[in-house]
Amino acid sequence: MEIPFIVNARKDTGLFNSKVGIWLFLASEVTLFGGLFSGYLFLRLYADYPWPERALPVLPGLINTFVLIGSSVTVVFAWAALKMREWRKFQIYMAITLACAGLFMVLKGIEYNAKFGHQAVRIQGGGPVQDNAIVEGHLHYAKLVDGEMVEVTKEEKEEMSDEDKEDVFTANKILVKASEFTFVLTRPSHEAYVKALLEQAGESKITLAEKYSVIDVEELNAGEMNRDQLTNSKAALVAGKGEELSIDLLDKLEDAYLDARSHDRKIRTQFLAASWDWVRNEKGEEEASTYIVEKDIWKERRSEDAEKLKVLTLRAPSEVTFKVDPPFTLVLDPSDLVKKVNVGDKDAKLRDDTLVSGEVLPSPMIMGVDALDFRTTALRAEAEGLDPLPVIEGTWLLTHKGHHDDHAEGEDDRNEFKKIWECHLEWLRARAEYLDEKSDRKGLEGADRLVPTDNDRYRVNWDQILAYQGLGYDLKKVYDESKAGTLKRTGLFDINGFAGANHKTPDTDNPDLHFPHLEIPRANVGFESSFTPKWNTYYAIYFTITGLHGLHVIGGALVLGYYLFFGRKMYESNPEWLANRVEVGGLFWHFVDLVWIFLFPILYLM
Amino acid sequence: MSADAHDHHDDHHHVLPWWKKYFFSTDHKTIGIQYGLAAGAFLLFGFFLMIVMRWSIAYPHEPLPGYLSWMFTDGWKARWLDDGKVTGETYNMFGAMHGTIMVFLGVVPLGFAAFGNYVTPLQIGAPDMAFPKLNMASFWVYLAGGLVMCASFFMESGAAKSGWTNYSPLAGYADKQIVNQFLAGQTQWLIGLVLLITSSLLGSVNFITTIIQLRAKGLTWMRLPFFVWAMLVTGFLLLLAFPPLEAAGIMQLMDRVAGSSFFMPSGLYSASSGAAMDLSGSGSPLLFQHLFWFLGHPEVYVLLLPAIACVAEIIPCNTRKPLWGYKPMVWAVIVLGFLSFIVWAHHMYLTGMGPVISTFFQTTTVLISVPSVILLTSMIISLWGGSIRFTMPMIWAAAFLPMFGIGGLTGLPLAFNLADLHLHDTYYVIGHFHYVVAPGILFGLFAGVYHWYPKMTGRFMDNFLGHLHFWPSLVCMNLLFFPMLTQGMAGFHRRWYNGGEGYIEKGAEGVNVFGLTVAEKISLNEIMTGAAIALAIFQLPFLVNMFISYFWGKKVTSDNPWEATTLEWATPTPPGHGNFTFDPAIYRGPYEYSRPDHDADFFPQWEEPKRDAPVEEPEVKPEKETTEA
Repeated sequence: MEIPFIVNARKDTGLFNSKVGIWLFLASEVTLFGGLFSGYLFLRLYADYPWPERALPVLPGLINTFVLIGSSVTVVFAWAALKMREWRKFQIYMAITLACAGLFMVLKGIEYNAKFGHQAVRIQGGGPVQDNAIVEGHLHYAKLVDGEMVEVTKEEKEEMSDEDKEDVFTANKILVKASEFTFVLTRPSHEAYVKALLEQAGESKITLAEKYSVIDVEELNAGEMNRDQLTNSKAALVAGKGEELSIDLLDKLEDAYLDARSHDRKIRTQFLAASWDWVRNEKGEEEASTYIVEKDIWKERRSEDAEKLKVLTLRAPSEVTFKVDPPFTLVLDPSDLVKKVNVGDKDAKLRDDTLVSGEVLPSPMIMGVDALDFRTTALRAEAEGLDPLPVIEGTWLLTHKGHHDDHAEGEDDRNEFKKIWECHLEWLRARAEYLDEKSDRKGLEGADRLVPTDNDRYRVNWDQILAYQGLGYDLKKVYDESKAGTLKRTGLFDINGFAGANHKTPDTDNPDLHFPHLEIPRANVGFESSFTPKWNTYYAIYFTITGLHGLHVIGGALVLGYYLFFGRKMYESNPEWLANRVEVGGLFWHFVDLVWIFLFPILYLM
Repeated sequence: MSADAHDHHDDHHHVLPWWKKYFFSTDHKTIGIQYGLAAGAFLLFGFFLMIVMRWSIAYPHEPLPGYLSWMFTDGWKARWLDDGKVTGETYNMFGAMHGTIMVFLGVVPLGFAAFGNYVTPLQIGAPDMAFPKLNMASFWVYLAGGLVMCASFFMESGAAKSGWTNYSPLAGYADKQIVNQFLAGQTQWLIGLVLLITSSLLGSVNFITTIIQLRAKGLTWMRLPFFVWAMLVTGFLLLLAFPPLEAAGIMQLMDRVAGSSFFMPSGLYSASSGAAMDLSGSGSPLLFQHLFWFLGHPEVYVLLLPAIACVAEIIPCNTRKPLWGYKPMVWAVIVLGFLSFIVWAHHMYLTGMGPVISTFFQTTTVLISVPSVILLTSMIISLWGGSIRFTMPMIWAAAFLPMFGIGGLTGLPLAFNLADLHLHDTYYVIGHFHYVVAPGILFGLFAGVYHWYPKMTGRFMDNFLGHLHFWPSLVCMNLLFFPMLTQGMAGFHRRWYNGGEGYIEKGAEGVNVFGLTVAEKISLNEIMTGAAIALAIFQLPFLVNMFISYFWGKKVTSDNPWEATTLEWATPTPPGHGNFTFDPAIYRGPYEYSRPDHDADFFPQWEEPKRDAPVEEPEVKPEKETTEA
């Protein structure tokens, strides 16, 4: 049996089968990406926060655009070469296509990586708009010394031995001095947590606080002992007081509890069913009405049942507590907690309902800051009808006393961020004047006048921070240089801007420059995330849509690569068929390119 | 003859190992049967879930009886039943999975994939589908998706519980207590869904390409059986409507495993932890609903069209006259396909989209009833003046017409914004779409099974068991679904796991407005539950019939036992690999029954015109001049 029209076109449609197939497939892809693009529109139109405009470095995206366009051309050349039966040329063009795909993915990888390592925090505080200042930067590191958190700089970390490095964690964790753990035995999924806490326990012993026993069913049925005796009998013991915590032990306890629960439920079910039989047979239809079960006669029967069930059921406890001696400091990821905790809280609940009792220790977030963003603060302030500037001046970030700040100048008690902000206002003044003077709209009033954007006003980028710092936070110098246009900032083609702000200071001329150090008390950490889909809906759609596009690039490259590396045999036996396949693969490749041509402007430029 | 032809046909059968022949087969007929069996198993499972739910509605305080709970282990019962009673949580889980299984794993694979796969290539004279390997992949991806979804019943989290529509923010946050989110039922549902969409994408590309490219000589568009037209339109619906849901599924998956907020609005607060959720917010729950229903509505027609396709084949064959209004039906089905893409938001009148958008969708929704009515009316008129043979398939097909009619007409009030405000999310809606799907679509598909069974196996299904299956099913279906319409109008909400008991308790004191109306209609619950259980019992004759007829049924005496006109009856019985023993050519339209100029009362499409009759040449377009070749 042979399927017709695989190689040659059907006369009346003028197409071979897989060409029809690929166009249909692409139609389907259009609606898939259409769904995602409409998601982008929806999210952007209804965003209740300042949508990040031009937040990504443009250069890698731009290069990628040309790389993909180039590969779309070479894939056509490869197909044409096959049609002309020039195998060598086909190989060359197809290899270039694949190299382009590889380059695209490498650039994408660098870009992704920079985002994953870059942190953002939305600060929570008092004031009319609950602060909402956003700080971007790179997390510092920390380790435990005598159960307390001590900062580790990046340099220190690099010098450590591999073994010591394992004890270092990023400075966004929550520390709990744990003295007791309570596990819920109906949640057998906590293996990952138990493993982690056993690793961290070190010298401390985690032992069962009370013995755990479940009445033995056979002894219960024999009816020779009362309940206390049953509970204390040897057959009932599952684990003794003082047994050390291990995954095996927890599994054993869980099994014992679940068995006991099954037994109890079974008996209770039998009693309930028997009661229904009774009420149906003895009391007739009226009493046995399905929906009303709180009739007196029914109540009486049920309370009799309850008395009997007290004797017949095992009633094993569903939770089990372990004591920790001596208490040790547990390092927890904030996302593992059901809800936020504050320093001094007596317990913290993990996502699977495991309760960690003890005390929440000071667990500040420590980072090197490379951008301040007050746009959300300003937006909220304007929504409240307030002037944004005083609200910004009152935020925690600009008013707190940083204990790392140098107060060598004596009376200057401003923290570094306040200094940055003041410089920024100077820059902004120069910027506003520049726009007013240099543009052809000089002297116009109201809407026609050219003014700085919200981005200019309320966001201080990493290159600005370093530029202000380089001038020693001297307001006059900042203004003058801004006015003269000599303030050092990065442009589109600056190599330092390639992957966004880097942890290392980019300015090699001036080794003293540093990203300001910030320690945020736990209570002021509102919402924190690296620049992943979690941070906001812009990054969510950015990663989802470019990730899916990346998968298409990989998929397409695999198929085209298959033709390149394993196509020779088919070329020799049926070159036209191979040409058809390459044509179909090339059509897909053009589609992938087209998607990117839409993606680039909406994610990078708009 | 059939045995002969079969042997003759076997000559290019390389000896395939049994697992290649029955499991990893690329033959469209084997794949069709695989789809049919798998979908049938899922349908039974979904049906079982529904009976457990109906038990809970009618007897919320009574333990599940042994015949409904014997397959659960003690541990499972201890986790999911409260002293043997169905809990609200379990009810939600079964409800969500009932809908999911019935729609995505049951009816669509049975109608589109099973019947479509088996019959379409035969009716167009093709040796197989255009892409046989993709066809096989499509089935296995579907099965994997279904199993992934259902496996979650046995996990700690249980299966998905957020309704078959899986609305966020609930579905984005449910099962968050599970440490590894990939092992949560709610996440598995999404993974299963993505697999199912992949499967349907492969399937629909394959179907459309096959229909466009592999039609036999002379089989022009207007000579296609209506079945093929319906499959073509269904293919396009699946192709274009499913991907936006895949986009939504991917975004919801990101919400669950990457912590994003695509569908999570700002300021969400979790009652269980008593704290604000650790989310960025600013997502849009409405976006999910739009993307879901962009698939969801065309999906209704994906369910429906294969059933109409079957009935449209069976009626002319058993009335011995041509299908009335074949051309209008073809245009109607195409228009229906287009319109089905612009009616989706009538599922969302209550979301506060605004009156302008609601008005638009109200208009398109009323418009779409026009092609639906054309289809149904044409089939009813087809009965007029026919010499009807009341064969088993015809009885089911005949019952399909009024049952689907009720389903369709009860939908009209829902199309109107104003009426829908009252009826939304009540049992009226449930009654409406179950009339469409259960006694409607499923009856149509049953008709199809009885009709093509002789082609698949070479034996008829037993008539007595057929009647024992049909009549009780018809009665039970109506006893089950008609009360839903009245309950719905009385305000019964579709998600009450205890049948509305909460409202009667204080109803007498007039504490709530529903109390009295609910008390009036609540006793219907027991009748409906009884009907559901009886319905289950009366599916047994069908299962038995399928099985015993395969071995002991009455043998067919010809390859065309129903004396039908379409091309699938020109093949040997059952058709071998490659289908046809001759090179099929088509000389006439699909439903040439009782032609006055012909001796027999049917004139098959493939039969060459007699010499003395006026010769009708196959309509083959002049060959294009080609530069290649």
